[in-house]
Amino acid sequence: MAPDKSTEKKSAGMEFFENVYRSIFRYGRIPQDGEGASYAVFNNLFLHIHPVKVSRHSLKFTYTFGLGVIATSLFLILTFTGVWLMFYYYPSATEAYGRMLDLRSSVDFGFVLRNVHKWAAEAMVFFVVLHMARVFLTGAYKPPREFNWVIGVILLLLTLGLSFTGYLLPWDQLAFWAITVGTSIAGYAPVIGEPLRQFLLGSDSVGQEALIRFYVLHVVILPGLLYVFLAVHFWRIRKDGGLSHPSENEPQDVAEKGAEL
Amino acid sequence: MKEVDTTQVYPQDPNKTYGLMELVRGTKPTVGPAPEDMVYSWPHLLIRELVIFLTVAACLLVAAFLFNAPLEELANPNHPPNPAKAPWYFLGLQELVSYSAFVGGVVVPGLLVVALILVPYIDRKKVGVGIWFARERWLANGTFLAFLILMCILIIVGMYFRGPNWGFVVPWE
Ligand code: HEM
Repeated sequence: MAPDKSTEKKSAGMEFFENVYRSIFRYGRIPQDGEGASYAVFNNLFLHIHPVKVSRHSLKFTYTFGLGVIATSLFLILTFTGVWLMFYYYPSATEAYGRMLDLRSSVDFGFVLRNVHKWAAEAMVFFVVLHMARVFLTGAYKPPREFNWVIGVILLLLTLGLSFTGYLLPWDQLAFWAITVGTSIAGYAPVIGEPLRQFLLGSDSVGQEALIRFYVLHVVILPGLLYVFLAVHFWRIRKDGGLSHPSENEPQDVAEKGAEL
Repeated sequence: MKEVDTTQVYPQDPNKTYGLMELVRGTKPTVGPAPEDMVYSWPHLLIRELVIFLTVAACLLVAAFLFNAPLEELANPNHPPNPAKAPWYFLGLQELVSYSAFVGGVVVPGLLVVALILVPYIDRKKVGVGIWFARERWLANGTFLAFLILMCILIIVGMYFRGPNWGFVVPWE
């Protein structure tokens, strides 16, 4: 890249920082032109899940209502606050409840941490369902997006699973009995029901074994799976040609309409 | 000799450094909106995503200061509350379970999940895509909304209208 006059006069210190900056962001500051805007996206690991260009239609707020992005935001915030909570939480039937009390009293802003995690979790179930409704009511699951809809159903089930396993962790009356009721529903399935319930609980009833199983599912297995399927979900959006668009509708349909006029 | 049609499908923008090479029929990426309908993800999409993320974070912080997450007494296996309720999003199922454990707890949720997965393989006709409440899709949209509303009603009944032994109660009494 040709140095301009201004860089010649720069002090050694400035040049050092300039070099460091350039080593991280190869294509300069905020890109002004189309080429820069393209580079900004595909040279950045975190941005390159986006296509370089998107249709105006997909940006209209009243098309998606940002519901998928809201669900994604909630999940990122849940990951962040969840990992933070892990520093204080102890998955033991004798310790867990006391740790919840500590979060209220002795941990600085512990109540904010727990409240954000809790409300974000409730909101995530709600917004994922709304997002699904948006996709349905705009016919966005039709070919070629059939499989991304199926991935979506898996994401919904994982979201419910995360919420449900997290519910037990405070080890209060609410948690204990909600999970007792919830897992007894699984037991009603013929043949596999009872073994399934015992597998989830690690025992006949909710206790220490259930707590550790729910904990591992909640902090490792389910979030890990959710990230994998979320990556596939986003990848498929690009491979399916961006978000659904009215121009995809069958041409003969348009022709018929034209003939009617 | 046959006339060759040279009219441009999309009018040429003089600043454009590329041209339209051919038209293909298919469902591969970017066959759809005209190039003029496309904008750069940076900044158009990314700024919007950032604004949504920050709004969500701000709302959560406000909610966290205003409302405490519930915490009841220490779990006690010998003192079941009456009624014991599942988390709100499963209350619809719990309500169904109260009529029939097998049908409500196994058959209905199982069928709902299978039906959800099959939706895009049953309804494949490309009409009404990308349009809210497209008129041609009234049957599909109506069915979906009916299920959604039914689920909401069951959840609300489970939340507010069920008391001891899952008997019917009214919340304002
Ligand atoms: C963890 C849950 C989920 C997350 C974080 C998520 C995220 C997203 C995002 C960010 C988009 C881009 C468009 C938008 O914002 O609306 C999207 C699109 C899509 N989602 Fe999801 N999603 C989730 C669950 C679901 C579910 C439950 C379904 C359906 C059963 C689904 C089906 C789809 C489909 C078909 C598209 C493409 C829509 C179009 O082309 O217009 N997703 N998702």
